[in-house]
Amino acid sequence: MVFTSFNFLIFFPLLATLYFLFPTKHRWLILLAGSYFFYINIKPVYALLLAGVTLSTYLFTRLIDNTPNESRKKTYLVLNIVLILLPLFFFKYFGVVNEGIFGLLESLNVRWPLPSIELLLPVGISFYTFMAIGYTIDVYNEEVAAEKNLGIVALFVSFFPLILSGPIERAGNMLPQFRARKGPDYDMIVGGMKLMLWGYFMKLVVADRVGIYVDAVYHNIGEHNGTSLLFAAALYPFQVYADLGGYSLIAIGTAKILGMNVMDNFRRPFFATSMAEFWRRWHISLISWLTDYVYTPLSFAFRKYRVRGIVTALLITFLISGVWHGASLTFVIWGLMQGIFVSIEALTVKPRNNFAQRFNLKKRGWYIAVGCLVTFTLFAASQVFARADNLQDAFLVYARILSTSGPLFIGVPSILLFGLFGIGMMMLKDFTDEFMPSRFLLFENKHKPVRILSYSAVILLIFLIGVFDGGEFIYFQF
Amino acid sequence: MEVSLFIFNSDGMIKKLIYNILLVAGVLFILDFAIGRTLRHFYFREIAGFHYRTTYSMEKTMEDVLIFGASRANHHYVPEIFGDSLKMTFYNTGRDGNGIFYQAALLKSVLKRYTPKIIILDYKGEFWKGPLEYDQMSSLMPYYRTHKEIRPIIELRSPYEKLKLGSETYPFNSQILTIAMGNLDINKTRNADNKGYVPLEATHAPELKVYTSTASYEVDSNKVNAFKDFVTSAKASGAKVYVVYSPLYQKLARYQENEICSEICAREKIPFFDFSRDTFFLQRGNLFYDGVHLNHKGAILFSNIIAGKIKAGLNNSPD
Repeated sequence: MVFTSFNFLIFFPLLATLYFLFPTKHRWLILLAGSYFFYINIKPVYALLLAGVTLSTYLFTRLIDNTPNESRKKTYLVLNIVLILLPLFFFKYFGVVNEGIFGLLESLNVRWPLPSIELLLPVGISFYTFMAIGYTIDVYNEEVAAEKNLGIVALFVSFFPLILSGPIERAGNMLPQFRARKGPDYDMIVGGMKLMLWGYFMKLVVADRVGIYVDAVYHNIGEHNGTSLLFAAALYPFQVYADLGGYSLIAIGTAKILGMNVMDNFRRPFFATSMAEFWRRWHISLISWLTDYVYTPLSFAFRKYRVRGIVTALLITFLISGVWHGASLTFVIWGLMQGIFVSIEALTVKPRNNFAQRFNLKKRGWYIAVGCLVTFTLFAASQVFARADNLQDAFLVYARILSTSGPLFIGVPSILLFGLFGIGMMMLKDFTDEFMPSRFLLFENKHKPVRILSYSAVILLIFLIGVFDGGEFIYFQF
Repeated sequence: MEVSLFIFNSDGMIKKLIYNILLVAGVLFILDFAIGRTLRHFYFREIAGFHYRTTYSMEKTMEDVLIFGASRANHHYVPEIFGDSLKMTFYNTGRDGNGIFYQAALLKSVLKRYTPKIIILDYKGEFWKGPLEYDQMSSLMPYYRTHKEIRPIIELRSPYEKLKLGSETYPFNSQILTIAMGNLDINKTRNADNKGYVPLEATHAPELKVYTSTASYEVDSNKVNAFKDFVTSAKASGAKVYVVYSPLYQKLARYQENEICSEICAREKIPFFDFSRDTFFLQRGNLFYDGVHLNHKGAILFSNIIAGKIKAGLNNSPD
């Protein structure tokens, strides 16, 4: 079951009603049952893996909590991390490692008799594995107490709004909310519905519509000229933002209706004026997870190397981010590019700040606009590696952008026009939220008729120009 | 034990929530009705373009010879040639990017009104499992309300299609721009209808592609059934029925779809003209627009061949 399916639109109101009808003490049981039902609907066998990760996390966190011996605690920590990473490595990276070994052996004229194995990645595994690891580390660091109720741990790992594509939440935020005994809150329910509505708009009107154009170009790179490839490369970041950003809003809105506050995942990323700021606005839950559990320990370990240590920690962190996205060289390069961009910024931050201060540039509109444009260009350039099927295709995109030109591929004009219209609306909302948050309010307008008309207009726009058969969310593949 | 049921302690919250949801639903209903009806009005006012051709095919055709199919049907059968050769009136109902479900639905609407003398189905036999042909049925949605006979076909899209089609605007999803363009005068002259046929002009021969895969694909029984239903209903109507696999400019290692098509046609005793491996066309790239479509020159040649075959068949027929 996915958020954009009609099944979900039936499942969720039923679940929410049942949840609120249940005595508060046992509401988590409804959520747990609902979460497993939601996940089993995708592929039942994957639920076994989810249950395995949950059980291992529960047992080892309890052991960590009950052991006074520090070295034993560490052993349990490492054991659990290794155990729950095994399925992720197996499903995500086994094929690549296997092929690599085969290739190497073949180049040495050694024939390995085993055939290669095609494995379908269990959807959401990268997300719930990170949540389980985060929880284990938090228990080890004594930031949260180990949960004694296996059901609550199972709910944390499998919580249906978050399981497929995040946001990657923390136990410290979620566990107390699962236990909280509070009634339904009108503002939370209405706020959740608004987030869901805008999430659906982003996914169905923007992401899936723009995706049709981007796919058409990227599926035939050799047939398209530099103009079309450049345009598709510029559109792809909007597609990903609308896709994962839309998904995140639906997830956050769903949780909010159930009375739970989930962390934001995006904060108007295309108005970031530097790559460092961009990464504080884009896929926030992943980056904050990596910052807490990878970057901070690494930079602490490398502290004696000062700036070089920070750069190394940044490069490793973004490399892991790339590999987390996919087991391919394209994502390794993508991750390294982010690391390099942010490192260069870190190395030049002082002179840049001095320059901006001396000429009082930081509040100037044009300076902000140039910063946004440069940041977007760098990110869009790196996204070519994220979108291309392989390294050759990515380089071919660059080569053709630099060497060929011609008229822009239009395809079906309405697809492109609707997509651009959707991007325009999405960016206009982000622009007003960023620079004039108290003006041009629609969903939050103080006049009820304006609010009602705004909701209705967005729903109608989804009916009129949304893509209802656009398929899955991009991040399901990760 | 603490019991906290929100319906007992929500202080009118639920009432307020339901009231506001109903308010949005009411406004939505009015807007949906007004916009949907406006779009419907303008959709059926179009007098050129593929919306018009579908409406004409479903509601107005009275011609003797009807061509059914997707883009290959639409671009491969030249009306004048069939008209001159068979001395019959002709209409090409083929529409780009529409599969067997569309064609089966169209036939149902046609047969409800009258029986053509000749029905030709140009089919590339895309029987594999996949969502494409279900998605393509969106072009039938404007007719769901007024054409009961096609509802079971459209409802194959999803179990909730009936519910979605309760909306007035949903049938016109993604079509607002095309409807607007279709109502502009410039479109009427630019896309003047030539009995449904739309020629493809090309001067350069495309590259001949050779596919080596012999793997079987998983067959979608709904698609096979729709094909069977098409040929049996067409035959039962009393029309002469022909199934044609028109020429390709590509070589496949396996033609699984032909196997299915030819088996069904043989069972129903319907002529199946298979040009998929026709060496005459495979040696003449200049007759093609791309790997799967003939250009206008190729279409003229091909139409002459098919019209000749049908004419010969009619002359030899005891009827």
